[in-house]
Amino acid sequence: MSVFTVYFLLLKASLTSFSGLGSLPMVREDFVVTAHALTDHQLTTAVAAGRTGPGPYGLYLVCVGFLAAGIPGAIAGFLALITPAFLVIPLMWWLGKRADNPRVRGAIRGILLAAAGLLLSAAMPLTQDALTGPFALAVIVVSFYLLTFTKIDSAWLMAGAAAAGLLTLLF
Amino acid sequence: MLGRELVETRKWLTSDKFDLAFALSRVTPGTNLLAFCAAVGAQLMGFMGAIVAVMAVTVPSAIVALIFIYGFELGQGNPTAMAVIGSTVAAVAGMMWSTIWTILRPHVGGNVRNLQVVLIAGGAFLASWKFNVTPVPIIGVGMLLGIFWKDPGKR
Repeated sequence: MSVFTVYFLLLKASLTSFSGLGSLPMVREDFVVTAHALTDHQLTTAVAAGRTGPGPYGLYLVCVGFLAAGIPGAIAGFLALITPAFLVIPLMWWLGKRADNPRVRGAIRGILLAAAGLLLSAAMPLTQDALTGPFALAVIVVSFYLLTFTKIDSAWLMAGAAAAGLLTLLF
Repeated sequence: MLGRELVETRKWLTSDKFDLAFALSRVTPGTNLLAFCAAVGAQLMGFMGAIVAVMAVTVPSAIVALIFIYGFELGQGNPTAMAVIGSTVAAVAGMMWSTIWTILRPHVGGNVRNLQVVLIAGGAFLASWKFNVTPVPIIGVGMLLGIFWKDPGKR
């Protein structure tokens, strides 16, 4: 897959999302389903690598770029990640006084709800891929609970999951 | 943390400008945190400030993420690495379900709002899962429904 394709596909995913993993359904559609450049397992691994360290949720785009096209792909993923952020500058100029407009807020709400449905659709096969036994099920349930109902940083959760995975080798 | 540092400790921004940057970062596509940093950087030092702020937040963590994915790729086949990868991948699955919950939770409450959540989010899920509709038209329909089907607010 060419670096430019990687950049434009990841940029498209990034531009049509408004939340951390909101771009995931489109990335899966383009890279796993259509182009077969990645497997579901690689995509989930990319998300895991992006969340194991500090930084924003969207970092997994860098890892997706790397898996699809090596270091140039990672750079393309990085550029696709940061490009939309600069849209805030013309928005500050143009939308500064319209941020509370009901139609603007309604549009964002509609996008968020649709994104949640899409994320649900993407989460199903990725969860099936991750669900390798009772231990994996326990990790899924515990991580859901901790991230939803406590203020734990996801990097700590990843570290804990990795440590628990190592412990399984001992028993 | 940023608010305390920029507004109260260093007094580089007024709280009004900080609030504007925060509100607009919520309506900017992509990662909200990066848009917020770009907005704050732009208010402080113009476009160059935006670039510096976004780079400062992303470059170090992108390098760390790359090291992790490279390590994960090298570890394929090694039992120890596979145990670590398997459990972190399971944690990511939990994270995805938590993200869905976190997105939907503020939008429920009241019959009309619940119906909007079920129809828009549920419709998007069905369209993608059952009928293989691609994400762009689904997002477009969600946006149009959001514009024309008024949110009555929480009761």
